[in-house]
Amino acid sequence: MSFGPAVARANRWLLGSPEFVVAAVILLFFAFGATQSQQFLNPETWINILRNAVFIGIAGCGATLVLITGGLDLSVGSVFMASAVGGAFLASSGWPTALAMLGAVGIGILVGTVNGILVNYAQISAIIVTLGTLFAVRALAVTATGGSPIGSLPDDFTAVGQGSVFGVPNLIWFAFLVIALAHVVLHYTTFGWNIRATGGNPLAARSMGINTRRLSTIVYAVGGGLAAFAGVLMASRLGSGSPSLGNGFELQVIAAAIIGGTSIFGSIGSIPGTALGALLLSVLTTGLVLLKVDPAMQNFAVGAVIVFAAGIDRLRKTQMFTKSARDTQLVRNHKVQGASK
Amino acid sequence: MNQSSVPGPAAIAGPGVRAEVALQLENASKIFGHITALNNVNLTANPSEILAIVGDNGAGKSTLLKVLAGVYRADSGTVRVLGRPLHAGSPADARKHGISTVFQDLALIETLDVAFNMFLGRQETFLRIFANRRKMMATAEATLRNYQVNVPSVRVPIGELSGGQRQSVAIARAIREDNPIILLDEPTAALGVRETKNIGALISSLRTEGKAVIIVSHDLEFVFEHCDRIQVMRLGRVHAIRRVSKTNREEIVGLITGALPEDQPEDSTQKMEAK
Repeated sequence: MSFGPAVARANRWLLGSPEFVVAAVILLFFAFGATQSQQFLNPETWINILRNAVFIGIAGCGATLVLITGGLDLSVGSVFMASAVGGAFLASSGWPTALAMLGAVGIGILVGTVNGILVNYAQISAIIVTLGTLFAVRALAVTATGGSPIGSLPDDFTAVGQGSVFGVPNLIWFAFLVIALAHVVLHYTTFGWNIRATGGNPLAARSMGINTRRLSTIVYAVGGGLAAFAGVLMASRLGSGSPSLGNGFELQVIAAAIIGGTSIFGSIGSIPGTALGALLLSVLTTGLVLLKVDPAMQNFAVGAVIVFAAGIDRLRKTQMFTKSARDTQLVRNHKVQGASK
Repeated sequence: MNQSSVPGPAAIAGPGVRAEVALQLENASKIFGHITALNNVNLTANPSEILAIVGDNGAGKSTLLKVLAGVYRADSGTVRVLGRPLHAGSPADARKHGISTVFQDLALIETLDVAFNMFLGRQETFLRIFANRRKMMATAEATLRNYQVNVPSVRVPIGELSGGQRQSVAIARAIREDNPIILLDEPTAALGVRETKNIGALISSLRTEGKAVIIVSHDLEFVFEHCDRIQVMRLGRVHAIRRVSKTNREEIVGLITGALPEDQPEDSTQKMEAK
């Protein structure tokens, strides 16, 4: 009996469908958790898990688009916090809820646009630019608030993040909407395919007429906008905007994208994958609490998952080009043999 | 296939404009710092003809191709496509005006499939913003079949294809654009014997379709087998122009290395007129 085909099939699934792998891991963890704690079977637990995944999921959609263009945005956590603070400030200043939220999202779009312009037109490395804005935006927000949270928000504003429709929290509806929209843009529009082309080979994309700089700048702006949207939803959910929010949030967001199969090398990735990645992170953090695992070790588990996902990404990339490398080597050998005759 | 945005020869030439010469470059010069890459270079490409540009490293052949492709703007000189002056600021611009280029790096996206790569930068759409994947796949499949290009499927990522298959896809993409002029930069570099033969057949088929093909190549065997005319570049100048049927490899090698003297301007003119 040969296991060859079965192994090959498993290998193909593992590398070809990260969404499947993440979904399987979530189910396995759930099954294991259910044997250890009755809380895993409680629908309230799952509503909480989903609610926690919302923020990473929404910001993760933007991070996914940025990563697929071959970029990187480390300022997500600061933008998340700045928009929470900004939205809370505007709402507490008497702005209507919709305008306060739009204003907060505008902060993210502005920071994202600055990132995009510096990366694409000033040609400064993305990691440097977004690391710079990560510190700068946080510093500005802390200075503006004096380090104190902005509370006493109007009911209208908090109702957005705390309310529910048909028994499902608004936050989950918002996340669903953003995820669906981002998926349609990435998977079905010419803009989405150009994002992949830009991440795959920017020189080729440019030489074939795609305005890669403008496209990448727009994507950074969208990424900033989505991080800000997640931030203002958080302010609404908590009923305050605190400058201590979002520390390390950027790493969770990028982790969700990578766990969901988005390649750190650009071009490859999917929005449903990122949504599942966000869910897995939320399941892990909530689940490990329920399992009474030492909080320090919870971070270890999350770190291990990220490294594993990045390893799969590397393996997928290697496997994709094994065939062509093998063929090219055969051709070269053939040529060398021909020349030596 | 949606080619409504792609100008055909007649569309570019316009009514009443004679288009006997597909592409004409006159007195083009290009200087990089202290280096004169092109020095008063002329070039003529005719429909249904394959012109080879050969020369040693640094002869200026790649710069010449990049000027024609719109990558570089010549410091002086004019480019005419079917009699009309062209001021291409980018490869996309040149393509819009009738010049398709297959660069040496092929300008393909390895992570994306054959169908998408065939439409890179010019996707088929519906409702203006959505990519019409189904139509792109069907058209890509038909084009590749038409030119007997063998790929496992149009859904396969370019990264999984061999060098010859990638080259074929890049050429097929240029063909699909249906421009009257096709430029190819080292089309047989890194290809095996059989793949070189396939690419040669593909390029030869362009002659029968009335395309003006310009090939930059080091591969003299390929040039003598598939091209009609050879323009030898040396030190940024046109050193000589020969018809393949009236020259031999020794003479071309002598011209490339400088062992044989540069043609006088009247020699080149006479030889071009004798075509």
